[in-house]
Amino acid sequence: MKNQLTKSIAVSLLALSVWNCKTSDPDPIPYDLGVYILNSGNFSSNNGTISFLTRSSKTVATNIFQAANPSLGLSGGIQGYTEINGKGLILVDNSSTGQDKVEIVEVGTFKSRATLKTPDIENPRQVIQVGLNKAYISCWDVSGDYSAGTFYKDPGYIAVVDLNTSTVIKKIPAVKGVEKMVVSGTEAFVGSTTYSGDKTLLVIDLNTDTEKQRIAFGSTPEPIALDANGKLWLQAGNDLVQIDPVTRLVAKRLTFAAMPGSVIISTDKRSFYYTLSGKTYNLSIDATTTSGNQVIARSFSALGIDPQTRQIYGSQNPLLYTQAGYVLRYESTGTLIDSVKAEIAPTGFYFR
Amino acid sequence: MSLSVSLLHGRISYAQSDTLVTRQAHAGQVVSLSLVTVRAIAPERFLAGQKLQRIDSATLLQFRFGSLTDLLAFNTPLAFKNYGPGQLATVSFRGTSANHTAVLWNGININQPNLGQTDFSTLPVAGFDRMAVQYGSSASVVGSDAVGGSVLLGSSPVWQPGINVTFGQQLASFRNNNTQMGIRYASALGQNWKLAGKTFAYRNKLNNEYPYTERRNYFVEQSTNAQRGFVQDLYFLHKSGKQVSVNAWLTDNDLILAPQDVIARERTRTQSARLLATYESNQATVRLGWIRDVIDYGKGDFTQPSHTATDRFIGRVEREFTLLPAKINSHLNLRVGGEWSHYRTRTDGYGGQLIQEDRGDLYALLRFQTTRWLISANLRQAFVTHFNPPITPSVGAEYQVINHGRLTLTAKGSVSRSYRVPTLNERYWIDLGNPNLLPESGLNVEAGLAATIVFSDHLSLNAEATAYRNRVDNWTYWNPTDNYHVENLQLVVARGGELATTLTYARNGWRAGLRIGYALTRSSQERAYDTYAQDVVGKQLPYVPEHTGTLNTYVQHGRMRLTVQTQANSRRYITFDNSQFFKGNVLTNIILESTLKVGPITGRLQGQVNNVFDALAFSVKRNALPGRNGALNLIINFPTNTQ
Repeated sequence: MKNQLTKSIAVSLLALSVWNCKTSDPDPIPYDLGVYILNSGNFSSNNGTISFLTRSSKTVATNIFQAANPSLGLSGGIQGYTEINGKGLILVDNSSTGQDKVEIVEVGTFKSRATLKTPDIENPRQVIQVGLNKAYISCWDVSGDYSAGTFYKDPGYIAVVDLNTSTVIKKIPAVKGVEKMVVSGTEAFVGSTTYSGDKTLLVIDLNTDTEKQRIAFGSTPEPIALDANGKLWLQAGNDLVQIDPVTRLVAKRLTFAAMPGSVIISTDKRSFYYTLSGKTYNLSIDATTTSGNQVIARSFSALGIDPQTRQIYGSQNPLLYTQAGYVLRYESTGTLIDSVKAEIAPTGFYFR
Repeated sequence: MSLSVSLLHGRISYAQSDTLVTRQAHAGQVVSLSLVTVRAIAPERFLAGQKLQRIDSATLLQFRFGSLTDLLAFNTPLAFKNYGPGQLATVSFRGTSANHTAVLWNGININQPNLGQTDFSTLPVAGFDRMAVQYGSSASVVGSDAVGGSVLLGSSPVWQPGINVTFGQQLASFRNNNTQMGIRYASALGQNWKLAGKTFAYRNKLNNEYPYTERRNYFVEQSTNAQRGFVQDLYFLHKSGKQVSVNAWLTDNDLILAPQDVIARERTRTQSARLLATYESNQATVRLGWIRDVIDYGKGDFTQPSHTATDRFIGRVEREFTLLPAKINSHLNLRVGGEWSHYRTRTDGYGGQLIQEDRGDLYALLRFQTTRWLISANLRQAFVTHFNPPITPSVGAEYQVINHGRLTLTAKGSVSRSYRVPTLNERYWIDLGNPNLLPESGLNVEAGLAATIVFSDHLSLNAEATAYRNRVDNWTYWNPTDNYHVENLQLVVARGGELATTLTYARNGWRAGLRIGYALTRSSQERAYDTYAQDVVGKQLPYVPEHTGTLNTYVQHGRMRLTVQTQANSRRYITFDNSQFFKGNVLTNIILESTLKVGPITGRLQGQVNNVFDALAFSVKRNALPGRNGALNLIINFPTNTQ
């Protein structure tokens, strides 16, 4: 009897352990440390995706939003991504009006938490954090006819998102073709896409979510970042311009022979990386001329700098929209590490 | 099914183009081989050894309020790249591109010449009387574009004297509706002449007011489409057999995307006028045609649309010779012909100036038929302004291996070259077009077996199996690594096969039929032409499902008929490297219909449920296509016999 009991307990334990093996929890944070590659997809196919690449891996996990949310799809080009207080915001730009959206996901797992849709979101361009639980999303609004000059609605707007409720609480009228935004203190400096022709640098008060000032500019300003000295940099056509965000005065203007591409600031915020005429360069924020150091003897469609490793990420140029593109990784010195196949048209990086 | 086919074709003198197989299908049916039937050449008459699928009248009736896209999708293995209901739909026939299917209306290629393709959503089934699908390359007979296959549409006179007024109305889900009105007439004109004619107009309004904005988390797209068309056919037949005919088909398609937004809305207006005059004697045919295609695309207020207008003037002369003295069991015919067309286009994308192009064709088609053999050999040389198409031959044969009363088995085979004249866009588009393009060059080889088995007086079976290989070199490509200039870059090889089976049962007032089609299509690009081509070489082409199947079945008793239509396809890749795809899906429609008769007035009432199982399918733009929906169709005929 006792023997039988022991046997049955043993069998039960064995069964339980086998059962346990089979139902072991999936990785609770499958997309934790690494880089998110934002793939725009093919225009009008609305097949943009986000791929996940760990720093040690040579292959990406594809379409991680779909993998985490099998019943949902992104259905658009991926226009931007940022994380705010445990939530990730994915900007999805569909080729049809009324179908753009912002997916709000739990960071690391990419489980969908909420979706912002039309009419709150139309042609989202960039998302930034402006408070503990507050985001600004620049939106072009509905696009008209490019050849008739009505493509960019005047003005576009900034959607103010409260992440406690996952709702758009306000739309701030901005500038035509509103796009890049950089925060300095309690202000956001807002520019627009160079194709819009708008020449206004807009200043928004983050405390009141209202317009504070409009600064007329010689050409279309595209804010880039604050440097190590707290100075605001922006691109205006062929120029990189340094501005004192307090006095609003131009401190320095560097004029290039052609328009620099993919301008990003380095991890220490003491230099810029950019592409120009088929090469990739680095230029100090203290430079007084435009003669940067060539880092890589080719250019990229998009650049990214990993803040942990300082490695340079570049996406294949030119992009092909009907097959997966490649991301090339370089040491900060410009030595090629490897080349990783991403998804359709990789055009942005988010490091975590 | 064979009975209804015979009835249809016997009546409208379409029987002249029979291959051995279809001739067999007519066994037991007296087909009147009047003088008329020897002429009115359908191209398939010279395409021995190739697969031809006629669409029967019952199917045409069931799709009478629908688009050609739906009819083909549910009855053939043709795959469509569909942008949404009432929106652009382009075809892939046997794994080729939208530029590789010739669409013929009364023997004239009506592909839109700027794009070199047909938007099948703009061609409603109501616009023509008969239809067949020609599989495989037939460029030697049809001309440019017939690389993957051809879709043959045509008008047919009805010579029975009298006047028949017809009215049709569809009320469908999403506040969509379709109205059709027409009149057919035939009478003697004096001692020597007979007249048959048709005047027909239709109007189709797709409001697409879906009761939902999303299906299973995918947006449906807001769009409207207003479609109008007018058909005029006149046939004058002399008792000597000479015939003069005039055919006209006007179509107007007004598609608006995002109609709710006055800034972002987009309008594509596609208008075509097609006019054709034909003189036919017993040996000769002379045709004159004019086709005008206009496309206007506008956004926002629609006042300054981008404009494309192209005119084509067509002249064609053909003469047929009987080379052997007429014997009962052996015929040798030679048909020689010449065609000239003049193109005039004003297109904003070409700079807006008038661009003209001339194209000519000379061809000789040879056909030899005995009791068991059907052999054809054809040769065509096309001439195009500043362009040099290759000489294009084809040979084909069919042999009746078995011909017992209840069983016939036919073996077929053919080899054909094909070519494609570049589209006007490919030649003239500012900066991107390439006036120095080479002709695409194709070689199609196919073989097949066709069998007819009559099990009993009540049950019969038709079955056909075909295998093919179609290799197209110098396939043009708008090359993204070269700023989208069009170049002769690719080599595409398509291979596959089709199986088709029709089982027909009729007894004691009951009729039933089952038609099953399956196609395997492997089509891939085989040339490495840039650094990244390694990822696409050998991969299945986008939007070409490897497996497609159709299943159509019906049961009829008395006046009632129940039909179930099913279409299935395997996954469709959406990228050239096959990294992304839409899952395979199955769509099923059910149609219940009844014929009506009140005094002399006859009619037909159809109730249909589309997408019965509410399956989720996607447009090319990744929008959900509509879920389950329905329609009520009424067709009323008022005959007035003047006999």
